[in-house]
Amino acid sequence: MTAKPPHALNKLDRLWLAEAVRLTEAHAGQLEDADANRHARARGGDLEQLILTRAERLAERDGLRTALLHWRQAATLVLLALAVFAVFTGAGLAAAALGNGERPVNVFWALGSLLGLHLFTLIGWLLGFASGGGAGLGRLWLWLSGKLAHDARAVQLAPALLSLLSRAGLARWGLGLLANGFWLLITGTALLVLIAMLSTRRYGFSWETTLLTTDHIVALTQRLGALPALLGFPVPAPAVIEASSVALDQEAARQSWAGWLLGAMAVYGVLPRLLLTLLCGWRWRRGLRRLRLDLSLPEYQVLRTRLQPPGETLGVSDAAPDHLPQPPPVIAAGTGCGAVLVGIELDQDRPWPPPLPTGVADAGVVSSRQQRQALLEALIRQPPARLLIACDPRRSVDRGTLKLIAELARLAAATRVWLVAAEGADPARREQWRAALRELRLECREEAPLTWLESGHD
Amino acid sequence: MTEPLRLAIVGHTNVGKTSFIRTLMRSTRFGEVSPRASTTRHVEGASLKVDGQEVVRLYDTPGMEDAMSLLDYIEQLRRPGERRDGPALIAQFLDSAEARGQFEQEAKVLRQLLASDAGIYVIDAREPVLPKYVDELEVLAMCGKPLFPVLNFVAGNDDRSDAWREALARRGLHALLSFDSVAPPLDGERRLYESLALMLEKARPQLQRLIADRAEQAEARRRSGAKLIAELLVDVTAYRISVAPEADLVAEAMRELRQRVRRREQQCVEALLQLYGFDRDDAVTGELPLAEGRWEEDLFHPETLKQLGVRVTGGVAAGATVGAGIDLMVGGASFGAGALLGALAGGAAQAGRQLGARLLGKLRGERVLSVDDAIIALLALRQQHLQRALEARGHAAQHKLNIDDPRDADWRKAKLPEPLTKARAHPEWSTLNPHARPDQADRRAAIAAVAKLLLADRPDA
Repeated sequence: MTAKPPHALNKLDRLWLAEAVRLTEAHAGQLEDADANRHARARGGDLEQLILTRAERLAERDGLRTALLHWRQAATLVLLALAVFAVFTGAGLAAAALGNGERPVNVFWALGSLLGLHLFTLIGWLLGFASGGGAGLGRLWLWLSGKLAHDARAVQLAPALLSLLSRAGLARWGLGLLANGFWLLITGTALLVLIAMLSTRRYGFSWETTLLTTDHIVALTQRLGALPALLGFPVPAPAVIEASSVALDQEAARQSWAGWLLGAMAVYGVLPRLLLTLLCGWRWRRGLRRLRLDLSLPEYQVLRTRLQPPGETLGVSDAAPDHLPQPPPVIAAGTGCGAVLVGIELDQDRPWPPPLPTGVADAGVVSSRQQRQALLEALIRQPPARLLIACDPRRSVDRGTLKLIAELARLAAATRVWLVAAEGADPARREQWRAALRELRLECREEAPLTWLESGHD
Repeated sequence: MTEPLRLAIVGHTNVGKTSFIRTLMRSTRFGEVSPRASTTRHVEGASLKVDGQEVVRLYDTPGMEDAMSLLDYIEQLRRPGERRDGPALIAQFLDSAEARGQFEQEAKVLRQLLASDAGIYVIDAREPVLPKYVDELEVLAMCGKPLFPVLNFVAGNDDRSDAWREALARRGLHALLSFDSVAPPLDGERRLYESLALMLEKARPQLQRLIADRAEQAEARRRSGAKLIAELLVDVTAYRISVAPEADLVAEAMRELRQRVRRREQQCVEALLQLYGFDRDDAVTGELPLAEGRWEEDLFHPETLKQLGVRVTGGVAAGATVGAGIDLMVGGASFGAGALLGALAGGAAQAGRQLGARLLGKLRGERVLSVDDAIIALLALRQQHLQRALEARGHAAQHKLNIDDPRDADWRKAKLPEPLTKARAHPEWSTLNPHARPDQADRRAAIAAVAKLLLADRPDA
């Protein structure tokens, strides 16, 4: 037994391993799984549990489990790196938007540089989400994790995860959680850095335009500020906006511009990402809770017969005897007179007896116990010189019939067996008759030896 | 947990008791079956399980061979004027020396029947009702256990079920069932368990569970089978090879294409066999259409198409080679604007890539080979025949199959259904192609659609 593995697997991991094993088997054929199946059956549970246990056992044997743990570590690392990258990006965005404070901040440039990329990727993500495509960031994460895991086995893991999640419709929520979480971090950091910088440094705000009129600028600024205003963010008064074509050196104007900028950032940057992250997170968790193996997959139906066989052999409960009782070889009676034909267990619809030469007695067809008894008694009273026993080779050769044949033959001076022609007789069965009669040392014929029966020679 | 229902399978020698159990177990790994009489000389148990829980236990017993002498012997045991019932006499017989001597086989049967809840008396329905069988029934009836007769080998035309029914009715056995263990009727198992449930009131819950479970599993197998076939069809339909137009290169590519399609079909055959619980090396498998000549016929031989009645047209019918592939670039009428439009509608990026690859191919003068419609229709027919054969087959043995199934008509016209024609435009759906993306939602949907069509072809499903 191996020691208890250091890292326990959670539900997703186990499903993931099962999917990886399924893909491997679909690709390369069934793995050698006798031990894993035994292990799974011993653990018990319903079919899903059995399949999961089997997959985990196989994965452990083939190193897939370790690969998964490596992959998970790598994925965590990549995730951390992405987070760090997001934080720096956010801070960089904020710093770049505000500049070094020597020149007044161009409000629309600042807003554009803070929100532009974010809005662009948001639209891209929404389009991709609607068409079911994967997010680029998510794929990057999977790819990097695979590279970092440094495990050849891990190659199968990323496709398995995608396949598992996409079948449940979970992949896009998971990737959405990742992408939106990433952007939430960027916009959130940017907002915090903005607050910090605006709190601790003095910035002047201005706007510039060549094409637009001042009225346009005023309208645009107020429209952008309307939504944040609902949350209590200030909107510069029209007079302030008009006057801000050159940076005003008024505290109130600076504060209202700064508040406006923060409000726009919070409402158009952080808020949508926060809501989407929460939505994706909720759907992801809910989907994860509901995630099951898709037992309708053909591979799992095949496994079902192996893991939960509909029937199982229990073994021999009453052993076979060393040998079966056999009637001893026939030793014919010394003398007799006359010739007799008897049929044993022949069909009633067969015309019987066949035309017989004179001097041959017909003993009829013997089937029942009474008939057997009567015939044996008649032969004891008057042993025949020649006895012809007709049998139907379609009957199976059983001990009872052989015993009767042997008893009859012992009462006659000479006996032959005639395997009457029968339609549909199995040649194998005919051969069994011959073999059984050989054991009894009785001659058997396919054609009626009627000449022999009449005269004693062929 | 309730006790499993114990059933002793009894009968004359060589009537197919072991085969009967194999069929119920869906396994060929039980006991030994041969045309020889008295193949089984021991008592062996087998359990039928539902969700891993044993609900019925079957006991295979040796065949009765000498019931007449046994009946004589038991009658000797009865002293004149004595009134002892059957079980008492049987008990006395089992204590006697003869029970370990010449009647050892029969003693095993009777002992097991006494220890069971009921007996299933298997009858070879081709046999006339001979007095020895009647005596057998009399001995078995002395055990005082319910007996349920099952008529085996009723699939041929030489059965005498009517005579048997009458004979059994005269002995008070009115409930019986025709159940051919080689080709059991599709609802045979259900009817068997239902009849047993009527006879054995106590065991009704177990048997009901068994009925429900077996029906559910049969349905699941049917669906999985259709899915496997659908996947094969999509894989083959979407498969294509690009090749430079030199004759020897084209011939080489064609060989490769055929080889891979053959291998892919074999893969599907193996999966179906596994699904229905047959091993490749089972004796039974040898009797399947796989090896009946028809199957060994090469997939790409014109004769094979003719035999399955797939309509072929034009060059394919005339040429010695079939499935030479439609030349997409030159002759490509069937892969023309329509498919391209489909590809465009299917996804801009992919369509672009495909279009690019095709244009590039055209510039280079490449030819693209894919598998002919007729071959795909043939694959569909062959695999469906196989699945039907496996469904209708007990785990017992040999029986020829009916090739002419009217349900195949649509495929015979070699016109591919819509979801498959769509696959033509999606090389990435085929696992035979490089850069396959078998987990695409579109591919899964197409496979599901084809599987549905395959199931709908069969109103009995």
